[in-house]
Amino acid sequence: MIAFLSLILTIILYWGAKRCYRLKPKVYLSPLLTAPLLIVALLVWTDTPYDSYQAGAKWLSDMLEPATIAFAVPLYKYFHILKKHAAEIIVSVLSGSVAAIVSSLFIARLLHLNMQIVDSLIPRSVTTPIAMGVSASIGGVPAITAVFVIMTGLLGSVIGPMVIRWLRIENDIARGVLLGTAAHGAGTSKAFEFSPITGTISSLSMILAALMTLGVAPWLVPVLAGVF
Amino acid sequence: MATLLKSAGQVILLCAFSLLLHKLVDFFQLKIPASILGILIVFILLQAKWIRLDWIEAGAQWLLAELLLFFIPSAVGIMKYKSVLLSDGVYVTLVIVVSTVIVMASAGLVAKKIGEKKERTPLP
Repeated sequence: MIAFLSLILTIILYWGAKRCYRLKPKVYLSPLLTAPLLIVALLVWTDTPYDSYQAGAKWLSDMLEPATIAFAVPLYKYFHILKKHAAEIIVSVLSGSVAAIVSSLFIARLLHLNMQIVDSLIPRSVTTPIAMGVSASIGGVPAITAVFVIMTGLLGSVIGPMVIRWLRIENDIARGVLLGTAAHGAGTSKAFEFSPITGTISSLSMILAALMTLGVAPWLVPVLAGVF
Repeated sequence: MATLLKSAGQVILLCAFSLLLHKLVDFFQLKIPASILGILIVFILLQAKWIRLDWIEAGAQWLLAELLLFFIPSAVGIMKYKSVLLSDGVYVTLVIVVSTVIVMASAGLVAKKIGEKKERTPLP
């Protein structure tokens, strides 16, 4: 019963949060912030443990996989644009992915964070299922990584438009690469608010960043850990 | 109503495909995640014209439009790691913010520079 209620409640609160955001598109009203906050408040208030909530809500998390596969559609529709800009997309996503690994490791070590937290932070820029896999392979805790992935998505969709303004990034390609590489699906959702092309470039960057992190992190992290 | 049913049917189709891939990846113990493999397979099938865009387009569009909904349960999962967040939350947030700005700046600026260079050199 709690499982069923959790599922329905999540959908209703999400729907409400989305309507609010549409009426007033401010970052602090993002559905990814308001809906989870309301749910956490409700769970704490009714003394419901997360696991009973998750029993029902996991149906929604399970939809992440088919939703990721759905990115094949914009990828196909806008493939001509991607082909035209293949070089700049690949080079910039690679530099962003390496920057993510190096900067997370360096800053986290500088702040003397516990090694497990550091390793859980490293893959946080990429989409959840891949981030969790990378986390496990480099010594992090996948569940904690999932939380960091969400925090990155949320913070990234707030910071992204600011960075775009500061650095005066005006072309759709660079904007898409910036959002998709740094903030996975949440960044891509933001990118679609700019334009369909920005969103598509962002989804492609997200996919590429996931593949690159999957390939690079397992050998780069031990090398860097020796240096820092 | 007909379009709604069509979208729903296509969403179910995508879910079934994703489930099947998941089983295959587990069975063959592949290193590549099912979701990434799925993008590649669907993309290749579309390119090869083995499947038509309108067989999945409406469903895919719905899934992408509601993407944030599927992140919410994991976001609520933050409450499970209260102790980690209470002790290290400020530092963790600091790492995420600074590192995200660095990632954005490097990816964005590299793409911008290459784009500008391309514009200046006319194609032969």
